[in-house]
Amino acid sequence: MIRGIYAVVVLDLKRFWLDRARLVAGLAQPLLYLFVLGAGIGANSQLGGGDYKRYIFPGVLGLSLLFTATFAAITIVFDRQIGFFKAVLIAPVPRASIAFGKIIAGALQAFVQGVVVLPFAPLAGVHLGVGETFGLLCTMLLASLTFSAIGLAFAARFSSTTVFPIVSNAVILPMFFLSGALYPLVTAPHWMQLAAHFDPVAYAVDLMRGALLGKFFFNPYLSLAALVAVIAVLAWDSVRVFNRGEDDSSLGATKFNWRR
Amino acid sequence: MTAAVPTDSAAVEVRGLVKRYDKVEALRGVDLTVRRGEMFALLGPNGAGKTTLFSILATLRAPTAGTARVLGHDVVTDRDAVRRSMGIVFQEPAIEQRLTGRDNLLLMGLFYGLGSAAARQRAAELLKQLDLADAADRPAKNLSGGQRRKLELARALVTDPQILFLDEATVGLDVDARRGFWAQVRGLAATGRTVFFTTHYMEEAEVADRIALIDHGQIVALDTPQALKTRVGGGVIRLQTEDNARARGWLTEHGLAPEAGGQEIMLVHADPAAVLPELLRTLPVKVQRVEVHEPSLEDVFLKLTGRGFDGETPVPAGRPGGRNGGAA
Repeated sequence: MIRGIYAVVVLDLKRFWLDRARLVAGLAQPLLYLFVLGAGIGANSQLGGGDYKRYIFPGVLGLSLLFTATFAAITIVFDRQIGFFKAVLIAPVPRASIAFGKIIAGALQAFVQGVVVLPFAPLAGVHLGVGETFGLLCTMLLASLTFSAIGLAFAARFSSTTVFPIVSNAVILPMFFLSGALYPLVTAPHWMQLAAHFDPVAYAVDLMRGALLGKFFFNPYLSLAALVAVIAVLAWDSVRVFNRGEDDSSLGATKFNWRR
Repeated sequence: MTAAVPTDSAAVEVRGLVKRYDKVEALRGVDLTVRRGEMFALLGPNGAGKTTLFSILATLRAPTAGTARVLGHDVVTDRDAVRRSMGIVFQEPAIEQRLTGRDNLLLMGLFYGLGSAAARQRAAELLKQLDLADAADRPAKNLSGGQRRKLELARALVTDPQILFLDEATVGLDVDARRGFWAQVRGLAATGRTVFFTTHYMEEAEVADRIALIDHGQIVALDTPQALKTRVGGGVIRLQTEDNARARGWLTEHGLAPEAGGQEIMLVHADPAAVLPELLRTLPVKVQRVEVHEPSLEDVFLKLTGRGFDGETPVPAGRPGGRNGGAA
């Protein structure tokens, strides 16, 4: 089991390393949000330009983690098409370790992408002391695992690389916008506050913001519990979907099999 | 290449195997035994059920009914034992194209539960054993077709399996690359491993100890290549004459049954050598060219099913099914 997880993680990180240029390209999106959107909206914000950038910094980090983790999950869809996983599927590896390995590998990739954004913190007016950095890294790791589990839960059901990104955008973007990453939830309309309670991204972003700025919207223990629960449920779900693939050699992607 | 490992269980034992997809019955009661140490070929047209059978043996699909055992392990109830004991080369690539040959093998080692050091060592051994030194540090996508196939073979050998499945492993390779590939496979068979393969190239099937012909999800014949060919009836005579139509008529009158159609006259006979001199002397039409050859495996298939491998000849009335292609 552990060896299977390890093998999946090594495989994905080796491939990630081949694509390391993506780390730099992946900076574009968060920096754009931070310094263009942040400067533009911040100028009109009650928080003021400098404060607004500081405020959305954790949210932009969350954005980076969310998109990297979702993209990492797409590899499972590619794997089905290219066939490498056929070789993996006939190896004596429990399907569960493939699911766990994928979640961990995706989380590590997202985490690294997030860390690359950190050096820009001072430019956004964010002070990174030892305590804040430690707290932030821990919450980033938890957020990465959550987002990776979300990405895999979707990717596990798709066998088409063209359909998956469209569907994931239809789900991932709303989750991001409702999370309070770019605005304070406290002053948001009531229905948005309510919706945020059902949005794992909101809890993750709130934890990161709390670790960095010391102010929480949710009770941090509630956030922790929510994220751990999301990871557990989605990991269990992915294992279930993958196990279903024991009989059809497709690693479970039968539900949305639109392209075959 | 004959049975080298005496043991109580067969290499592959298939009993009453049925696989039904939504509406198609891909396997309709297959019985098959492959002995240990045997080179065993499975031949049949596309859609006959070859790949389905291999998928079941490789634990990628579960049978609808019947049982299959690989080296004594049931493919459904003892899945992990089967996975540990066999290697398989698929028709389509199953290596990560962007990673090097070495990394591909290293990773497979990890997936088979080897530690990092052991996996590294195994990868190095295999690269050497299969003459893949050049492929070691280049991404698989930059290798030649032949080298990539050899890398697939190396991947299948990571656990040093006692049985090797090859599902049209050399399709699309040039003659040299195919020869190189089979030289390696024969080397493996010579050390007592069982090799169970499908192929589209008849000359590759000739090296098999035994051959099973599969059609419409059923085994229609199973024997040594030689014995299968004698089923056709000895030999094939091909004649080119000045007037084929007249020659055909005369042959039919004299109790010989030429096959219908074709540019030449094709005549199947139990003993061509005995009948040919007399035939050439008495045939009232001038013979321009004569050729005698052993029946090919394709002739055997044609005789047994009334269709060629390409499936162009229509299924004669009375044969069950008529569904061709579809389930592979």
